[in-house]
Amino acid sequence: MKAKPAELIISFAVVALGAAVAVGTTRLSGAGGYARIGPNAAPAVVAGGLILLGLWLLYEALSGGWRNALPDSPEARGEHPFHAGAFVWVSVGLFAEMLLIDRAGFVLAQAALFACVARGFGSTRPARDSAIGLALGLGVFLFFVKFLNVNLPAGWLKPILGTAGI
Amino acid sequence: MAETFHLLLHGFSIALTPFNILWGFTGVVLGTFIGVLPGVGPALTVAMLLPLTVKLDPTGALIMFAGIYYGAMYGGSTTTILLNTPGESASIATALEGNLMAKNGRAGPALATSAIGSFVAGTIATVLVTMLAPLVIEVALKFGPAEYFALMVFAFTTVSAVIGSSTVRGLTSLFLGLFLGTIGIDSQTGQSRFAFGVPELLDGIDVVVLAVGLFAVGEALYVAAYSSRLEEKIEQLKGSLWMSKEDWKRSWPAWLRATVIGFPFGSIPAGGAEIPTFLSYATERKLTKYPQEFGNGAIEGVAGPEAANNASVTGALVPLLTLGIPTSATAAILLSAFQNYGIQPGPLLFQSQADLVWGLIASLYIGNVLLLILNLPLVGIWVKVLTIPLPLLYAGILVFATLGAYSLHQSAVDLLTLYIFGLLGFVMRRWDIPVAPAIIGLILGPLAETQFRRALAISQGDLSVFIKQPIAAAVLAVSALLLIIPLVFRLVRRV
Repeated sequence: MKAKPAELIISFAVVALGAAVAVGTTRLSGAGGYARIGPNAAPAVVAGGLILLGLWLLYEALSGGWRNALPDSPEARGEHPFHAGAFVWVSVGLFAEMLLIDRAGFVLAQAALFACVARGFGSTRPARDSAIGLALGLGVFLFFVKFLNVNLPAGWLKPILGTAGI
Repeated sequence: MAETFHLLLHGFSIALTPFNILWGFTGVVLGTFIGVLPGVGPALTVAMLLPLTVKLDPTGALIMFAGIYYGAMYGGSTTTILLNTPGESASIATALEGNLMAKNGRAGPALATSAIGSFVAGTIATVLVTMLAPLVIEVALKFGPAEYFALMVFAFTTVSAVIGSSTVRGLTSLFLGLFLGTIGIDSQTGQSRFAFGVPELLDGIDVVVLAVGLFAVGEALYVAAYSSRLEEKIEQLKGSLWMSKEDWKRSWPAWLRATVIGFPFGSIPAGGAEIPTFLSYATERKLTKYPQEFGNGAIEGVAGPEAANNASVTGALVPLLTLGIPTSATAAILLSAFQNYGIQPGPLLFQSQADLVWGLIASLYIGNVLLLILNLPLVGIWVKVLTIPLPLLYAGILVFATLGAYSLHQSAVDLLTLYIFGLLGFVMRRWDIPVAPAIIGLILGPLAETQFRRALAISQGDLSVFIKQPIAAAVLAVSALLLIIPLVFRLVRRV
């Protein structure tokens, strides 16, 4: 049986992470104080562990595949095939939020996130979703700012929200 | 014993102040509400609701968390029974019979036996916590860094290697968490590790960001990609909500047996509630007088696992409060809630913060009672929550999840970290790598490192300190055996 590409990639990624940690560890200072070990001891253990585990995963991947893995066909897992559009829309929502939150403010960022994620999950009513997202964002904003005294950015809505937020 | 009783009464006097009752009540309701949402397990519920408590005093906040902790579990069982989507591995056993009961029009009694069973098991387990904690503390006060380090290694082994479908994948997850734990300023020397000059990383990775990333963002990406286009089937609440006389007769022995099974698994750091729920399911299946009903919705098959789950989760508070060692993802997030207030759980906590600890323990009793009287009458509302369409549901979950991560430092960098952990969570979910070990590794790793270095500082760098201390040596030996024996078995079987 041919090894599965995904399992090989993940195995190599674990080895690579271990190697990267090992390289980083060499730049940390060593033995200090009474303990005779320094801040580099734990990273060294982590690096060694990750490399060993990555090799172990690789061995399993090459000798018949990872043990007790989930079935490859989505149907056998009770799911539908990978829906790229859905994945992308959820990601777009999270990036939109990331870019908007410090500029446009919390409320608009959450509205954008809400609308994009709903779209990703198959909603076909962007206007309704945006409206719900806006209302939810505003409610949470006011609750946090007025009631919990946690500051959230008001951004472009500052003229409307007044003194609330930052 | 008399002294414990006295302390507990004092705890009640703290937990029963009007404000603290209000916080407990809020916690139970919010916890249940969020816990009912499909795909949201107790760990994520606690992580998402963490920012709500930032301005509370520590006692009030932790009392609220106790409510959230229990509420989330109860809400999760409702979803499991009506929707057959277990939010966490400990609910899988409940799903087996619970959803079948719902299909046969017996959702009411299934929910009732799970609620009352949770109350019975939770209350007995809380009594056991109350009695056991002072005893564990007596012992724990004699522990030095070597013993603590050994216990933490034991917890690492059980959560990563013993449970789950694959030892190597569990350990990989653990080491990933340990790596994330090394990021930031080294607490002993002040040296920065793996921060790459990013100021946000100097403080280290926050457990809430990791948990929300893996559980909420990863889960949302996964469900969107693989099951957002499936038809969902919610079982209707038909017929009586109440259990018949026979239901009672069949349920209560199962509750009690499950409590006996569940509590020890939680209270020795033996990794989560998954094993005891399945053990309880198997026990009930073997002891039942109605074997033909198993596989068609047998009430014992719901009563047992649910009670075992609650007993084990409550038992997990013993190592968490007395040793500062979390044994589940939820406990790990609770530990980070403690740390946010500058409180490090451990034997000394019972002396330095007696009000807080005993107030918290007393609030566990109150939380159980609140759940029982609130939830059965309110079950109609929780069922309504389940009918929220999937797109709005997940959009809402992400709004709250990202809010929690953002409000920690008001930083968009945390949102980027969150997305990266989301991708990681997606990969781990798809290729069956458990996420709980990573979360426990992140929070417990730095603590274990500190204890290790302290032990070596005392012994002047002599590694044999871990062998010379009998308790530390024994615990380390057991951990090693737990890891090695299954491997040897596998090799022998192959020959």
